[in-house]
Amino acid sequence: MIYLDNAATTRPAAGAVAYAETFLREEYFNPSALYGGGFAVRGELEKARAGLLSRLADGETYELVFTSCGTEADGQAIFSCARRGNAVTTAGEHAAVYESFRELKNRGVEPRFAPLNRDGSVNIEALLELVDERTSFVSVMHVNNETGAVNDIEKIAKEVKKRTPSAIFHSDGVQAFGKIPYRLSGAVDLYSVSAHKIGGLKGTGALVKKKQLALRPLVFGGGQERGLRSGTENVFGIVAFARAAAEWGNAEEHLPHVRRLNEMVRGALENVLILSPEEGSPYILTLAAEGLRGEVLQRMLWERGVVVGTGSACSSKSRFSRVLSACGYPERVLDGVLRLSFSPQNTEEEALAASRAVNEVISEFRRKI
Amino acid sequence: MEKVVIIRYAEIHLKGKNRGYFERTFTVNLEKSLKGLRHELHRTSGRYLVEKFPEGMEEEVTRRISRVFGVYSYSVGLLTESDIGEVYRAALLVAPESGTFKVDTHRGNKGYPMTSMEINAHIGGRLLSDRPALRVDVHAPQSTVYIDIREGGKALVFSAFEKGPGGMPVGTAGKGVLLISGGIDSPVAGYMMAKRGMETELLHFHSYPYTSEGAKEKVVELSRILARYSLSATLTTVSVTHIQEEIHKKCAPELNVTLLRRFMFRIAERIAKARGAKALVTGESLGQVASQTMEGLASSNAVVTLPVLRPLIGFDKEEIIARARTIGTYETSVLPYEDCCTVFLPEFPAIKPDLSFIEEEEQKLDVEALLSEALETRERLSL
Repeated sequence: MIYLDNAATTRPAAGAVAYAETFLREEYFNPSALYGGGFAVRGELEKARAGLLSRLADGETYELVFTSCGTEADGQAIFSCARRGNAVTTAGEHAAVYESFRELKNRGVEPRFAPLNRDGSVNIEALLELVDERTSFVSVMHVNNETGAVNDIEKIAKEVKKRTPSAIFHSDGVQAFGKIPYRLSGAVDLYSVSAHKIGGLKGTGALVKKKQLALRPLVFGGGQERGLRSGTENVFGIVAFARAAAEWGNAEEHLPHVRRLNEMVRGALENVLILSPEEGSPYILTLAAEGLRGEVLQRMLWERGVVVGTGSACSSKSRFSRVLSACGYPERVLDGVLRLSFSPQNTEEEALAASRAVNEVISEFRRKI
Repeated sequence: MEKVVIIRYAEIHLKGKNRGYFERTFTVNLEKSLKGLRHELHRTSGRYLVEKFPEGMEEEVTRRISRVFGVYSYSVGLLTESDIGEVYRAALLVAPESGTFKVDTHRGNKGYPMTSMEINAHIGGRLLSDRPALRVDVHAPQSTVYIDIREGGKALVFSAFEKGPGGMPVGTAGKGVLLISGGIDSPVAGYMMAKRGMETELLHFHSYPYTSEGAKEKVVELSRILARYSLSATLTTVSVTHIQEEIHKKCAPELNVTLLRRFMFRIAERIAKARGAKALVTGESLGQVASQTMEGLASSNAVVTLPVLRPLIGFDKEEIIARARTIGTYETSVLPYEDCCTVFLPEFPAIKPDLSFIEEEEQKLDVEALLSEALETRERLSL
């Protein structure tokens, strides 16, 4: 099997799984317990927190709160901070942010959505025009999960704060963490990440936040995570997250290899429209076979042992991707979207074989209709 | 004293010499519906009793038997010793606290020391003195306490009648093959035929990879819901992918659906004959879509000799939807999985296809080879 749906989820890292297992079988104590076993688990949990945080930000300014997923981290940021006036985001956000913004309307906060450029990045001028003195919160995703376009969140955050210093800036970093070299420098207040996109386990995410920023919990109870996220910690998921991040390594070291994979596939594909920008994240390569059905191509590839994602599906609630529609593509293109997403473990042979398979299924499909 | 469920059956008593056969089938169907639940099922004069089920399970019992065709009505009642004191204790449990009521006694055991009238008067009188808010109204009471004095020193006491689904026991009216898609109509068609006692074999056509695994899963789910009524045990699936591709490649695009349906009917008929079924059943409704015009229906009928039953033929979509909701298939039917990929759907399907034109276009295909190839892809899933 050639697995090229790494933006959906990655294969859990072997070391992370093995490490997690010791916390399922042996070190299963409650980290809040006041006996030795509990203290030891608490220690591991804090080590994981510090290790993960050090990959993203300095521990003087920022802290890290574990959540159950990237979606929860986004929701925690949004519903804590967007509490008055208006809140600004982009039309390209993942549903975790997009749907939360739509919910803001029910809570008396006006959501505003900035339009996208053709490649899926946000139109910065248009976004800044939406920010005014009543803006309490701005959220701009770091890497677009459907096209791989990278938003310059540092620049955008600084511009936003120039206009409205009191506005809080959040970024969904789920497709960027471990993949795009980046450290929070002070302009970005909140940053969401997810474990299973870099070899960790599903069910674990985190919100990196400025220490000075007081958030309101979504879940109340025993006061874990400094009161922000009650509920017994998902210890095995958290330690596996930290171990997976360590095994994954730095974003810089993988970039040349993943870029090479991306370029090879771009070069080998025939008769497709590439939707992903060349200067975007090399981990995501989205293409369209005009007039064909991406979902059907996806199943034809699955039969050949090549696993890819798709931009639209007969089976999803709406036939076309909301984000790619917002990029301005016509229906003929939106129908035939495939998303290939890489991991550093993918090989050049796999990239070539997958490209051949994509070319084959596209021409086979075209022959049939 | 124990809780029991009393089942009265519908048209079975009309069936003269066949009555024994109908009752045996009905018994088997009731047993199937109660499978996995501890109980005893007894037939007595003109009714069935479900006894000895675990305490508190009467709702589960009634939920299950309310899906068995042939059940005319049912009641949850109390089975007690027939001595008058015990009967009164049971009557207290089923009688209302207030309002108008009457007592209606039926005496199966003619040796009982009191007559029906005497029992009515005795129980009614005691209820009146124990419950001052009750009043008697023998003509139009708000509730009735029914007492059934039976042989063997037992009595049944109950008050409410619930209406059952009616119809005939499944299996008493032959066997048909239901063409089931993922849509709203075909499960309702299957329900209607099951209601008239027909046993249905379920047959689904898919065109993987143009349609998804999800679409097939949806049909399995619909079949399971339908099977609660139809008692169908298996679902057969057949791939028509290659047929669709060939039609698309070689024939006039406006006939895509018409031609595909002729293939589906031929396959269904072959499967029907192999499984001893005497009819095909579809969810077609006249004029609902392009392929369901009179010409469209006729072109499908032209390739088969078995009768094609279309129980929804005169129904509006809204009527079908209302039934699908009652049966419980609607929510699954509207899940967004397409059962036919739109890449094969013509922009302008023929509304009144001419049979000679259809046959001419079909000549471009190797019908026999495509049929046997499709039949090779047959899979049977148990529900």
